[in-house]
Amino acid sequence: MNGIETNRASSRALLWITLAVVLVIYGFPFIYLLLTSFKTPLDAIAVPASVLPAQWTLENYVTALTKDGVAPALINSVVTAVLSTVFSLVLAVPAAYAITRYRTPSGRVFVLAALVTRMVPTIAVGAPLVETMRTLGLSDTSLGLAIAHTTISLPLSIWLMSSFFESVPNELEEAAKVDGASRLGALWLVVLPVVSGGLAVTAIFAFLASWNEFLFSLLLTSVRAQTTPIVIANFQTQFGLDWGAMTALAAVYSIPVILLTLLLQRHIVAGLTLGAVKG
Amino acid sequence: MRITDRRFALFMMAPAAAFLAAFVLWPLIRFVSNGFYEISPIAGGPREFVGLDNFVAAFESAAFQGASLRTVVYTIVVVVLEFTIGLGVALIFASLGARSAVFRTVFMYPLMIAPVVAGLLWRFLLIDNFGIVNELLRQAGILRSASQIGWLSDPNIALFSVALPDIWLTTSFITLVLFAGLQNVPGDIIEAAKLDGARYPTLLFRVIIPLLRPVIAVALIVRGIDAARAFDIILIQTNGGPQESTTTLSLLIYRTMTRYGDPGLASAMGTIYLVVMLVVATVAIFAIWRPGSDR
Repeated sequence: MNGIETNRASSRALLWITLAVVLVIYGFPFIYLLLTSFKTPLDAIAVPASVLPAQWTLENYVTALTKDGVAPALINSVVTAVLSTVFSLVLAVPAAYAITRYRTPSGRVFVLAALVTRMVPTIAVGAPLVETMRTLGLSDTSLGLAIAHTTISLPLSIWLMSSFFESVPNELEEAAKVDGASRLGALWLVVLPVVSGGLAVTAIFAFLASWNEFLFSLLLTSVRAQTTPIVIANFQTQFGLDWGAMTALAAVYSIPVILLTLLLQRHIVAGLTLGAVKG
Repeated sequence: MRITDRRFALFMMAPAAAFLAAFVLWPLIRFVSNGFYEISPIAGGPREFVGLDNFVAAFESAAFQGASLRTVVYTIVVVVLEFTIGLGVALIFASLGARSAVFRTVFMYPLMIAPVVAGLLWRFLLIDNFGIVNELLRQAGILRSASQIGWLSDPNIALFSVALPDIWLTTSFITLVLFAGLQNVPGDIIEAAKLDGARYPTLLFRVIIPLLRPVIAVALIVRGIDAARAFDIILIQTNGGPQESTTTLSLLIYRTMTRYGDPGLASAMGTIYLVVMLVVATVAIFAIWRPGSDR
């Protein structure tokens, strides 16, 4: 038992009550978003505001999902996020493996560089990337945007994968090599299956980084490759503050990733805390 | 011929290194060097080397000074509140033990929501007239009318209001990190302190927080960097207004680049910002974290 855990009934009750209050405040914004998405468009902006819909309707969902550009944007978001996740894993796995297994000076420089990348304001990379993508013929394409998103998720993926490789005992590969496996063979056949949970966590974080990203999408796409966050943001200007439809699209966009989190929460907590707690 | 381990390691790191060099380092070099040029906003337009002119102009501009101050205030507000709430909730979770598991999951959900969505959602909650927050405060008898507080329209408080969704979105990160750190605090140290008659505040400030210091350092540095870079969450709520009161550096740089069409000046501002971030983060790492020291 942990020393911080308390057993006194009175203090436990007080803690549960405090926790309940915090969770209600914390949960309210999203629940209100869901409730609003089922209101009629006029009810959504009625004065005085009410928590519950006066009349439940799917009108906002129909409006939001049949708007021009919404369906392609949802597809673009999926395509971009999947591409970016694949790029991140393909690049990060060998790099992180080399960093943890062969402690060379170049590996240390690499980890430091990955940390510094996190401090760079997105605009400082995004603005010059506009030109780079034009030169490469990747302006306004999901591939170009996925490459840009990978600049965010790759350092994070290297960091996460390094922590996961760190936890695999060296003896595993040594045994495989004694059995005649090459270094790549040992990684592919022996180590990767052991860290499959870590691969899943890294994939989820890379996916989320791309799924929720805004500024690169704003700078690098205009029509064809536009992702959903841009379309959600445009609801306010283009359609004259259609709050009802905005909440509906926001719900459609957020619920899959929230459900994913609930399903995989144990792994995700491990991923979030691993690097930090190891220090 | 057998490849040495060193070569093999380089070969494995090369693709990621090449990617980061091409799509992070090279753009960044171009960005920094743009700071030394006067650049026409039209693509392929003329560039003229002007030395440090843009940097001088940045330091002298009231907009840059104001935005720097607002970035500092915003970052401090976000980090202090997130840390206070995050530590409080982490301690509650730890005190309740295993039975809090379900609630830990519930608490985590905002982390998955896009900052754009969070910003718009909070703008909707806080809006003057039909916003639910003011309406609930009115029903509770705290406000006289639902438009009494202009969360996002009053320049005196807008900078604090735009921080709310950021705090809502990522306090869970601090909680999760600190909670994990608390799991590693040895129970017997706490028991010993209790036996010595230490009361809770003493226990917290003299025993628990010092033991958690490396974890706290990582959480604060990560969140500090991200809060200082906050962009979409502010843009979507106020677009920098009212009266520039929420224009932080990242918004100012973006606007100088795109709307005012002065990429040279924007690059100089961005370079100053990046250098300051690097210095502050390095100082923070050594001051709070003190890697290598035992206590």
